[in-house]
Amino acid sequence: MAFNYEKYLRTDKLPTLWCWGCGDGVILKSVIRAIDKMGWSMEDVCVVAGIGCSGRFSSYIDCNTVHTTHGRAIAYATGIKLANPDKHVIVVTGDGDGLAIGGNHTIHGCRRNIDLNHIVINNFIYGLTNSQTSPTTPKGMWTVTAQYGNVDPTFDACKLADAAGASFVARESVLDPKKMEKVLVEGFKHKGYSFFDIFSNCHINLGRKNKMGEAIQTLNWIEGRIAPKKKFEALSDEEKAVKFPTGVLKKDEEALEYCEAYSKVIEAAQNKTKVQL
Amino acid sequence: MSSMTAPQNTPVWVDTSRCKACDVCVSMCPAGVLAMVQAPNSVLGSMIEVEVPDACIGCRDCELHCPDFAIYVADRGEFKFARITDEAKQRAEAVKNNHYRKLSA
Repeated sequence: MAFNYEKYLRTDKLPTLWCWGCGDGVILKSVIRAIDKMGWSMEDVCVVAGIGCSGRFSSYIDCNTVHTTHGRAIAYATGIKLANPDKHVIVVTGDGDGLAIGGNHTIHGCRRNIDLNHIVINNFIYGLTNSQTSPTTPKGMWTVTAQYGNVDPTFDACKLADAAGASFVARESVLDPKKMEKVLVEGFKHKGYSFFDIFSNCHINLGRKNKMGEAIQTLNWIEGRIAPKKKFEALSDEEKAVKFPTGVLKKDEEALEYCEAYSKVIEAAQNKTKVQL
Repeated sequence: MSSMTAPQNTPVWVDTSRCKACDVCVSMCPAGVLAMVQAPNSVLGSMIEVEVPDACIGCRDCELHCPDFAIYVADRGEFKFARITDEAKQRAEAVKNNHYRKLSA
Protein backbone atom coordinates (compact mmCIF):
# COMPACT_ATOMS: atom_id res chain seq x y z
CA MET A 1 0.00 0.00 0.00
CA ALA A 2 2.04 2.76 -1.26
CA PHE A 3 0.88 6.30 -0.62
CA ASN A 4 -1.58 7.23 -3.35
CA TYR A 5 -0.86 10.74 -4.61
CA GLU A 6 -3.33 10.47 -7.50
CA LYS A 7 -6.25 11.54 -5.31
CA TYR A 8 -4.55 14.91 -4.71
CA LEU A 9 -3.24 15.51 -8.22
CA ARG A 10 -4.55 16.76 -11.53
CA THR A 11 -3.16 13.70 -13.25
CA ASP A 12 -3.99 14.98 -16.73
CA LYS A 13 -1.28 17.63 -16.18
CA LEU A 14 1.43 15.02 -15.52
CA PRO A 15 4.30 14.51 -16.19
CA THR A 16 5.32 17.77 -14.56
CA LEU A 17 6.91 20.66 -16.43
CA TRP A 18 9.91 20.66 -14.05
CA CYS A 19 13.32 19.47 -15.18
CA TRP A 20 14.50 15.95 -14.35
CA GLY A 21 15.52 15.67 -10.71
CA CYS A 22 14.04 19.06 -9.70
CA GLY A 23 13.37 19.34 -5.97
CA ASP A 24 10.00 21.05 -6.56
CA GLY A 25 8.40 17.65 -7.14
CA VAL A 26 9.76 16.34 -3.84
CA ILE A 27 8.30 19.39 -2.06
CA LEU A 28 4.93 18.90 -3.83
CA LYS A 29 4.87 15.29 -2.59
CA SER A 30 5.75 16.32 0.96
CA VAL A 31 3.04 18.99 0.99
CA ILE A 32 0.49 16.41 -0.23
CA ARG A 33 1.52 13.96 2.50
CA ALA A 34 1.36 16.72 5.10
CA ILE A 35 -2.16 17.73 3.96
CA ASP A 36 -3.16 14.05 4.13
CA LYS A 37 -1.75 13.78 7.64
CA MET A 38 -3.65 16.87 8.74
CA GLY A 39 -6.84 15.21 7.46
CA TRP A 40 -7.91 18.37 5.63
CA SER A 41 -10.55 18.09 2.95
CA MET A 42 -9.22 19.43 -0.36
CA GLU A 43 -12.29 21.68 -0.55
CA ASP A 44 -11.02 23.56 2.51
CA VAL A 45 -7.48 24.06 1.20
CA CYS A 46 -6.39 26.89 -1.07
CA VAL A 47 -2.96 26.87 -2.69
CA VAL A 48 -1.78 30.27 -3.88
CA ALA A 49 1.33 30.37 -6.06
CA GLY A 50 3.27 33.18 -7.66
CA ILE A 51 5.35 33.13 -10.83
CA GLY A 52 8.33 30.92 -11.43
CA CYS A 53 8.94 27.21 -11.44
CA SER A 54 7.29 27.19 -8.01
CA GLY A 55 4.21 28.79 -9.60
CA ARG A 56 3.45 25.51 -11.34
CA PHE A 57 2.62 24.08 -7.91
CA SER A 58 -0.94 25.38 -8.24
CA SER A 59 -1.40 23.53 -11.55
CA TYR A 60 -0.66 20.06 -10.24
CA ILE A 61 -2.35 19.97 -6.84
CA ASP A 62 -6.10 19.34 -7.03
CA CYS A 63 -7.72 21.80 -4.62
CA ASN A 64 -8.75 25.46 -4.79
CA THR A 65 -5.79 27.05 -6.53
CA VAL A 66 -4.83 30.56 -7.58
CA HIS A 67 -1.91 31.26 -9.89
CA THR A 68 -1.18 34.91 -9.18
CA THR A 69 1.03 37.70 -10.46
CA HIS A 70 4.77 37.87 -9.80
CA GLY A 71 5.54 38.34 -6.12
CA ARG A 72 1.97 39.12 -5.11
CA ALA A 73 0.94 35.67 -3.87
CA ILE A 74 0.97 36.82 -0.22
CA ALA A 75 -1.28 39.78 -1.03
CA TYR A 76 -3.84 37.51 -2.72
CA ALA A 77 -3.56 34.94 0.07
CA THR A 78 -4.12 37.58 2.77
CA GLY A 79 -7.41 38.52 1.09
CA ILE A 80 -8.46 34.88 0.71
CA LYS A 81 -7.69 34.12 4.36
CA LEU A 82 -9.44 37.22 5.72
CA ALA A 83 -12.58 36.40 3.73
CA ASN A 84 -12.47 32.70 4.77
CA PRO A 85 -10.82 32.49 8.20
CA ASP A 86 -11.86 28.83 8.64
CA LYS A 87 -10.12 27.63 5.46
CA HIS A 88 -6.46 26.66 5.13
CA VAL A 89 -4.27 28.74 2.85
CA ILE A 90 -0.89 27.53 1.59
CA VAL A 91 1.28 30.01 -0.29
CA VAL A 92 4.07 28.71 -2.50
CA THR A 93 6.68 31.10 -3.82
CA GLY A 94 10.24 30.84 -5.03
CA ASP A 95 13.19 32.74 -3.61
CA GLY A 96 13.04 35.39 -6.33
CA ASP A 97 9.26 35.59 -6.17
CA GLY A 98 8.89 35.67 -2.38
CA LEU A 99 12.05 37.47 -1.27
CA ALA A 100 12.89 39.91 -4.07
CA ILE A 101 9.87 40.95 -6.11
CA GLY A 102 7.42 40.01 -3.36
CA GLY A 103 9.78 40.70 -0.46
CA ASN A 104 7.63 43.62 0.61
CA HIS A 105 4.51 41.45 0.82
CA THR A 106 6.40 38.73 2.69
CA ILE A 107 7.62 41.02 5.46
CA HIS A 108 4.19 42.57 5.91
CA GLY A 109 2.51 39.16 5.96
CA CYS A 110 4.98 38.20 8.70
CA ARG A 111 4.35 41.46 10.57
CA ARG A 112 0.58 40.92 10.62
CA ASN A 113 1.06 37.29 11.71
CA ILE A 114 -1.87 36.18 9.58
CA ASP A 115 -2.54 32.42 9.56
CA LEU A 116 -0.89 31.59 6.22
CA ASN A 117 1.49 28.73 5.48
CA HIS A 118 4.20 30.30 3.33
CA ILE A 119 6.56 27.86 1.62
CA VAL A 120 9.59 29.47 -0.01
CA ILE A 121 11.17 27.05 -2.46
CA ASN A 122 14.72 28.32 -2.24
CA ASN A 123 16.86 27.21 -5.18
CA PHE A 124 19.27 30.19 -5.03
CA ILE A 125 18.42 31.47 -8.54
CA TYR A 126 15.63 32.70 -10.81
CA GLY A 127 15.29 29.31 -12.49
CA LEU A 128 12.36 29.74 -14.88
CA THR A 129 13.70 32.89 -16.53
CA ASN A 130 17.19 31.43 -17.06
CA SER A 131 19.44 32.25 -14.11
CA GLN A 132 19.25 35.85 -12.95
CA THR A 133 20.74 36.68 -9.54
CA SER A 134 18.24 36.20 -6.72
CA PRO A 135 18.59 37.49 -3.13
CA THR A 136 19.84 34.09 -2.02
CA THR A 137 22.40 33.41 -4.78
CA PRO A 138 25.70 32.61 -3.02
CA LYS A 139 28.65 34.96 -3.58
CA GLY A 140 30.95 34.19 -6.47
CA MET A 141 28.41 32.24 -8.52
CA TRP A 142 27.91 32.84 -12.22
CA THR A 143 24.48 34.11 -13.21
CA VAL A 144 23.16 35.82 -16.34
CA THR A 145 23.15 39.17 -14.51
CA ALA A 146 26.50 38.54 -12.76
CA GLN A 147 28.69 37.18 -15.53
CA TYR A 148 31.94 37.67 -13.57
CA GLY A 149 30.57 36.20 -10.35
CA ASN A 150 27.94 37.45 -7.93
CA VAL A 151 29.11 40.04 -5.38
CA ASP A 152 25.76 40.71 -3.67
CA PRO A 153 25.49 39.67 -0.01
CA THR A 154 22.72 37.12 0.52
CA PHE A 155 19.54 36.98 2.55
CA ASP A 156 19.00 34.51 5.35
CA ALA A 157 15.26 34.10 4.70
CA CYS A 158 14.53 32.65 8.15
CA LYS A 159 16.22 35.54 9.98
CA LEU A 160 14.23 37.94 7.80
CA ALA A 161 10.91 36.25 8.65
CA ASP A 162 11.84 36.05 12.33
CA ALA A 163 12.73 39.75 12.49
CA ALA A 164 9.59 40.71 10.57
CA GLY A 165 7.41 38.95 13.16
CA ALA A 166 6.41 35.54 11.78
CA SER A 167 5.40 33.29 14.66
CA PHE A 168 6.59 30.01 13.12
CA VAL A 169 9.87 29.83 11.19
CA ALA A 170 11.44 26.64 9.92
CA ARG A 171 14.04 25.54 7.40
CA GLU A 172 14.34 22.18 5.69
CA SER A 173 15.77 20.81 2.47
CA VAL A 174 14.70 18.34 -0.19
CA LEU A 175 17.37 15.96 1.10
CA ASP A 176 15.09 14.67 3.84
CA PRO A 177 11.46 14.52 2.64
CA LYS A 178 10.29 12.72 5.80
CA LYS A 179 11.61 15.47 8.05
CA MET A 180 10.18 18.09 5.71
CA GLU A 181 6.75 16.48 6.03
CA LYS A 182 7.04 16.53 9.83
CA VAL A 183 8.00 20.20 9.90
CA LEU A 184 5.20 21.07 7.44
CA VAL A 185 2.64 19.30 9.64
CA GLU A 186 3.91 21.20 12.68
CA GLY A 187 3.66 24.49 10.80
CA PHE A 188 0.22 23.71 9.35
CA LYS A 189 -1.04 23.05 12.89
CA HIS A 190 0.38 26.35 14.12
CA LYS A 191 -1.99 29.31 14.25
CA GLY A 192 -0.19 32.32 12.84
CA TYR A 193 2.23 33.00 10.00
CA SER A 194 4.18 29.81 9.28
CA PHE A 195 7.26 30.48 7.20
CA PHE A 196 9.16 27.57 5.63
CA ASP A 197 12.46 28.12 3.84
CA ILE A 198 12.97 24.92 1.86
CA PHE A 199 16.29 24.44 0.09
CA SER A 200 15.86 22.90 -3.33
CA ASN A 201 18.20 22.04 -6.16
CA CYS A 202 18.39 23.74 -9.56
CA HIS A 203 21.09 21.84 -11.38
CA ILE A 204 19.99 23.21 -14.75
CA ASN A 205 20.00 26.98 -14.41
CA LEU A 206 22.26 27.30 -11.37
CA GLY A 207 24.32 24.15 -11.75
CA ARG A 208 25.18 23.99 -15.43
CA LYS A 209 27.19 27.20 -15.78
CA ASN A 210 28.67 26.84 -12.30
CA LYS A 211 29.85 23.33 -13.14
CA MET A 212 27.96 21.71 -10.28
CA GLY A 213 26.98 18.56 -12.16
CA GLU A 214 23.64 16.79 -12.24
CA ALA A 215 20.84 16.63 -9.65
CA ILE A 216 22.72 14.29 -7.31
CA GLN A 217 25.84 16.48 -7.15
CA THR A 218 23.69 19.57 -6.53
CA LEU A 219 21.93 17.73 -3.69
CA ASN A 220 25.36 16.96 -2.21
CA TRP A 221 26.25 20.65 -2.50
CA ILE A 222 23.10 21.56 -0.54
CA GLU A 223 23.98 18.95 2.07
CA GLY A 224 27.26 20.80 2.67
CA ARG A 225 25.39 24.07 3.25
CA ILE A 226 23.00 22.91 5.98
CA ALA A 227 23.35 21.60 9.51
CA PRO A 228 20.64 20.56 11.99
CA LYS A 229 19.92 23.30 14.55
CA LYS A 230 21.73 21.60 17.43
CA LYS A 231 24.82 20.76 15.40
CA PHE A 232 24.85 24.27 13.95
CA GLU A 233 25.09 25.83 17.42
CA ALA A 234 28.22 23.81 18.17
CA LEU A 235 29.99 25.01 15.01
CA SER A 236 32.76 27.62 14.98
CA ASP A 237 32.05 31.15 13.73
CA GLU A 238 33.76 30.56 10.37
CA GLU A 239 31.64 27.47 9.74
CA LYS A 240 28.47 29.28 10.82
CA ALA A 241 29.09 31.92 8.15
CA VAL A 242 28.71 29.39 5.32
CA LYS A 243 26.08 27.06 6.79
CA PHE A 244 22.38 27.37 7.54
CA PRO A 245 20.60 25.74 10.51
CA THR A 246 17.63 23.45 9.72
CA GLY A 247 14.61 22.48 11.78
CA VAL A 248 12.02 24.60 13.57
CA LEU A 249 13.86 27.84 14.34
CA LYS A 250 11.06 29.80 15.98
CA LYS A 251 7.68 28.93 17.42
CA ASP A 252 5.67 31.53 19.25
CA GLU A 253 2.21 30.33 20.34
CA GLU A 254 1.42 33.55 22.24
CA ALA A 255 1.42 36.00 19.33
CA LEU A 256 -2.01 37.31 18.31
CA GLU A 257 -3.22 36.00 14.97
CA TYR A 258 -4.47 38.61 12.47
CA CYS A 259 -7.88 37.03 11.68
CA GLU A 260 -8.63 36.94 15.41
CA ALA A 261 -7.52 40.55 15.79
CA TYR A 262 -9.63 41.54 12.81
CA SER A 263 -12.72 39.80 14.19
CA LYS A 264 -12.46 42.22 17.11
CA VAL A 265 -12.56 45.12 14.65
CA ILE A 266 -15.72 43.66 13.08
CA GLU A 267 -17.24 43.28 16.55
CA ALA A 268 -16.34 46.86 17.51
CA ALA A 269 -17.76 48.23 14.26
CA GLN A 270 -21.05 46.37 14.78
CA ASN A 271 -21.32 47.62 18.37
CA LYS A 272 -20.04 51.08 17.43
CA THR A 273 -17.35 50.93 20.13
CA LYS A 274 -13.54 51.09 20.06
CA VAL A 275 -11.54 47.94 19.40
CA GLN A 276 -10.44 46.09 22.57
CA LEU A 277 -7.05 44.38 22.30
CA MET B 1 -4.51 7.78 4.65
CA SER B 2 -4.88 7.73 0.93
CA SER B 3 -3.24 4.57 -0.35
CA MET B 4 -2.90 2.32 -3.38
CA THR B 5 -2.50 -1.46 -3.41
CA ALA B 6 0.70 -2.97 -4.75
CA PRO B 7 0.58 -5.38 -7.70
CA GLN B 8 0.88 -8.94 -6.42
CA ASN B 9 4.33 -9.97 -5.19
CA THR B 10 5.95 -6.71 -6.24
CA PRO B 11 8.09 -4.78 -3.76
CA VAL B 12 8.79 -1.78 -6.01
CA TRP B 13 7.26 -0.73 -9.32
CA VAL B 14 7.73 2.19 -11.73
CA ASP B 15 5.59 4.29 -14.06
CA THR B 16 7.77 4.72 -17.14
CA SER B 17 5.42 7.30 -18.67
CA ARG B 18 6.34 9.74 -15.88
CA CYS B 19 10.02 8.96 -15.26
CA LYS B 20 12.47 11.59 -16.58
CA ALA B 21 15.61 9.55 -15.81
CA CYS B 22 17.21 11.92 -13.29
CA ASP B 23 19.12 9.07 -11.54
CA VAL B 24 18.08 10.30 -8.07
CA CYS B 25 16.29 7.08 -7.04
CA VAL B 26 19.25 4.96 -8.18
CA SER B 27 21.63 7.10 -6.13
CA MET B 28 19.38 6.78 -3.05
CA CYS B 29 18.90 2.98 -3.19
CA PRO B 30 21.14 1.31 -0.59
CA ALA B 31 20.61 -2.21 -1.99
CA GLY B 32 21.29 -1.80 -5.71
CA VAL B 33 17.73 -2.71 -6.68
CA LEU B 34 17.37 -0.03 -9.34
CA ALA B 35 19.42 0.91 -12.40
CA MET B 36 19.11 2.93 -15.58
CA VAL B 37 18.84 1.20 -18.94
CA GLN B 38 19.25 2.63 -22.43
CA ALA B 39 15.98 3.88 -23.91
CA PRO B 40 16.42 5.68 -27.22
CA ASN B 41 12.83 6.95 -27.21
CA SER B 42 13.01 8.73 -23.85
CA VAL B 43 14.13 12.36 -23.54
CA LEU B 44 17.46 11.75 -21.81
CA GLY B 45 18.05 8.43 -23.57
CA SER B 46 17.68 6.29 -20.47
CA MET B 47 14.89 4.84 -18.37
CA ILE B 48 14.55 3.41 -14.87
CA GLU B 49 14.30 -0.34 -14.43
CA VAL B 50 13.83 -2.55 -11.36
CA GLU B 51 16.78 -4.94 -11.70
CA VAL B 52 16.86 -7.02 -8.51
CA PRO B 53 13.42 -6.74 -6.87
CA ASP B 54 14.21 -9.51 -4.37
CA ALA B 55 16.93 -7.38 -2.76
CA CYS B 56 14.54 -4.49 -1.90
CA ILE B 57 14.60 -3.69 1.81
CA GLY B 58 11.51 -1.46 1.73
CA CYS B 59 13.22 1.72 2.98
CA ARG B 60 11.13 3.88 0.55
CA ASP B 61 14.03 6.30 -0.06
CA CYS B 62 13.48 6.03 -3.83
CA GLU B 63 9.76 6.77 -3.52
CA LEU B 64 10.27 9.75 -1.21
CA HIS B 65 12.97 11.32 -3.38
CA CYS B 66 11.28 10.78 -6.75
CA PRO B 67 10.09 14.22 -7.94
CA ASP B 68 7.88 12.82 -10.69
CA PHE B 69 5.48 10.40 -8.95
CA ALA B 70 7.05 7.60 -10.98
CA ILE B 71 8.18 5.04 -8.40
CA TYR B 72 6.23 3.26 -5.68
CA VAL B 73 7.16 0.84 -2.90
CA ALA B 74 4.82 -1.77 -1.37
CA ASP B 75 3.79 -1.67 2.25
CA ARG B 76 5.54 -3.90 4.77
CA GLY B 77 2.30 -5.89 5.21
CA GLU B 78 2.05 -6.68 1.50
CA PHE B 79 5.52 -7.96 0.80
CA LYS B 80 8.22 -9.60 2.86
CA PHE B 81 11.24 -7.42 2.23
CA ALA B 82 14.80 -8.72 2.27
CA ARG B 83 17.48 -7.69 4.75
CA ILE B 84 20.43 -5.71 3.50
CA THR B 85 23.46 -7.87 2.66
CA ASP B 86 27.07 -7.06 1.84
CA GLU B 87 26.46 -8.26 -1.70
CA ALA B 88 23.58 -5.76 -2.08
CA LYS B 89 25.75 -2.93 -0.72
CA GLN B 90 28.52 -3.78 -3.16
CA ARG B 91 26.06 -3.92 -6.05
CA ALA B 92 24.67 -0.51 -5.10
CA GLU B 93 28.21 0.91 -5.06
CA ALA B 94 29.01 -0.72 -8.42
CA VAL B 95 25.87 0.74 -10.05
CA LYS B 96 26.76 4.21 -8.75
CA ASN B 97 30.28 3.91 -10.14
CA ASN B 98 28.81 2.75 -13.45
CA HIS B 99 27.11 6.18 -13.93
CA TYR B 100 23.87 4.72 -12.50
CA ARG B 101 23.64 2.42 -15.53
CA LYS B 102 22.68 -1.25 -15.43
CA LEU B 103 25.66 -3.53 -14.76
CA SER B 104 26.57 -5.76 -17.67
CA ALA B 105 26.10 -9.42 -16.75
